[in-house]
Amino acid sequence: MTISTTQRGRATAAVSVAAVLALTATACGDDGSGSGTEGSGKGEITFWDNNGGPRTAVWTEIIEDFEKQHPDIDVTYVPIPIADVQSKYDTAIAGGGLPDVGGVGTAYLANMVSQEALEPVNDRLEKSALRGKLVESMVESVRAAAGRGDDVYSVPTSANNGVLWYRTDLFERAGLKAPDTWANFYTAAEKLTDAKKNEFGYTIRGGAGSIAQALDAVYGQSGITEFWDGDTTTLNDPKNVAALEKYAGLFKRTTPAADVNNDFTKMVAQWDTGTIGMLSHNLGSYQDHLKALGEDKFAGIPAPIGEGGTRVQVSNPVDGLGLFRSSRNKTAAWKFIEFAASHASNSKWNESAGAIPANAEAAKDPWINETESTALAAKTLTDGSTKIVDLPYYLPDWNNISKADNEPEFQKVLLGKITAKAFLDDMAEQLNAANKEWKELGNG
Amino acid sequence: MTALLTERNGTAPRSTAPGSPPSARRRRPGRERAFDDVPRWQIYLPLGLYLLFTLVPFYWMLLFAVRPAGSTSLAPWPMTGAHFSKVWNERSFAVFFQNSMIVGVATLVATTLVALAGGYALARFDFRIKGAFMLALLCSQFIPGALMLVPLFEIFRNLQMINSLGSVVIAETVFQLPLSIILISGFIKNVPVSLEEAAWVDGCSRFTAFRTVVLPLLRPGLIAVGSFAFVHSWNHFLFALMFLSEQDKQTIPVGLNTLIGADSVDLGALAAGGVIAAVPVVVVFAFIQKWLITGFSAGAVKG
Repeated sequence: MTISTTQRGRATAAVSVAAVLALTATACGDDGSGSGTEGSGKGEITFWDNNGGPRTAVWTEIIEDFEKQHPDIDVTYVPIPIADVQSKYDTAIAGGGLPDVGGVGTAYLANMVSQEALEPVNDRLEKSALRGKLVESMVESVRAAAGRGDDVYSVPTSANNGVLWYRTDLFERAGLKAPDTWANFYTAAEKLTDAKKNEFGYTIRGGAGSIAQALDAVYGQSGITEFWDGDTTTLNDPKNVAALEKYAGLFKRTTPAADVNNDFTKMVAQWDTGTIGMLSHNLGSYQDHLKALGEDKFAGIPAPIGEGGTRVQVSNPVDGLGLFRSSRNKTAAWKFIEFAASHASNSKWNESAGAIPANAEAAKDPWINETESTALAAKTLTDGSTKIVDLPYYLPDWNNISKADNEPEFQKVLLGKITAKAFLDDMAEQLNAANKEWKELGNG
Repeated sequence: MTALLTERNGTAPRSTAPGSPPSARRRRPGRERAFDDVPRWQIYLPLGLYLLFTLVPFYWMLLFAVRPAGSTSLAPWPMTGAHFSKVWNERSFAVFFQNSMIVGVATLVATTLVALAGGYALARFDFRIKGAFMLALLCSQFIPGALMLVPLFEIFRNLQMINSLGSVVIAETVFQLPLSIILISGFIKNVPVSLEEAAWVDGCSRFTAFRTVVLPLLRPGLIAVGSFAFVHSWNHFLFALMFLSEQDKQTIPVGLNTLIGADSVDLGALAAGGVIAAVPVVVVFAFIQKWLITGFSAGAVKG
């Protein structure tokens, strides 16, 4: 049974179509990368925290301190979950609505710089109280990661470092030495494994974030200290291939089979609650281990030393604060960045996060030496004894290549579906092509 | 009837209790009898295993939510409310919960009302592009929300609706509508039009006839569509993340994600947040499950 169509129905349809067209037309606005203005240095600014949640409390404290010192500036704090920060920035860059200041890690800095979202801060740094106060290697890291020559697009605030966490109680019981060399690491991984009792020597990262960790193990063992040899990556060097074969060979032999899907949350959770000898992560999980295991049952050391007697590790992302081009109040936004990167605020933030401060004065504060793992990591980054292989964060394609494109491939290596050589050859080819493209655009 | 079947098969009905009244035996349909012939364990064992498989993750979540940090006990003892207190008070879940409830209820109301009108039009009216319109509704189900993110963001920004719960409600409603309209249309088609015609003859307007005759018969369908809209918007993360910035506007799924840090995760707090997020959905389904199953089966089979 049907009932007739009316004139009113047609009119409604016409109005609907017009509304859709009108709304679509409004979608042709600015791209969010406008030039902005210096502003009055007063009023409201918006700050996006790129690790919203875990750091909300300390940021709230820093913002309160800032607003006391600058009563004419109000900071709106926006916590963004770390896993989605890049898509949030990308949407705001494409659709508008970027903040004045935002937390930016080197892992996605180049992507934002290539979209012209951030403003270079060299001139502001030159005239700032921060001049000469920031750890030089971290400034260099953010400069290199942006991939725009000498221009610096974020003020570094902290660095993390890879840590090999190990269960001291299990090591003592098995009469093992600390895994401070790769040879000791492999011996311990074998000896601590008894799969029938659900005991394993190591937990490997096979899921999200697996590539950086695998590269750390690969370069750490091979002793190769440069990522590039001219325009070609050293990634698929035979020494690296051999190192990856050995490392991936741990899967299922000395690790749980479920590790193939391990992201850091699963990896840390199973290490904290199970009977696993070693875990490669970074300083950030210290508090989790402390809560779960207590102070006496674990320790953390930097990456093991290779056969050549030198510790080699890949560069870890440096976190920083970026000033957005589209800000209508850059003067106030810069005041906030200066305050957040100052000695007191930077020390407070890094102590809370268990990270290494970018402010050189904060890096000398007593709390650094209170935790052995943090002290060792800070020493590793500053005393020159460790060779750092700089990963090409400056390539706009780096994030795709090191995550979406190759994490599933690494799982295939673990499962024995492709060889370590095929995996590294393929990834090297992608990196060489991305590097060539980047250079053809006049970079490097 | 049972006696006749027994005679034909030459077997006695095993499940018939001795002494039970013949009328009770007569009421039992053949298919039900077939199930009665199956040993109970063959039904309950697979169901029990499936239930176990389904409930283990929930048990794990509850376990992490109530046991103290650092405990490796597989039983929820000793118990603590510290994680709940932390997420509710310190991590703003009280605010997130309220916002999610506003978004969920508003999406439910908007989706149900618009789907009712659209579904009625599709069920009762015949117009030239009806087939194409139905096809467009179906095709729209293939468009992922992420694809529309930037245009929607731009539209809401121009309408000054960024950072307003209204933007999330509109976006959720728009994405819920196609399926809801199709479902409601199916329910309305199941209501004989002669009932409406009788009401018209009695002097009712079309709207009054719809309200007094059709609407009460649509209750299972409305509950199915409404609950579907509520649960979907309650759980949906993407629009809330993108369109809402200030912390006091964010919803539970975004709040849950902020419990996972760059390098560390508080599993106790995350599990407690998960329990808080799951409770309304479980409560909603507990109350409406009877209507939900009736509604979905009615709309799906005869749509």
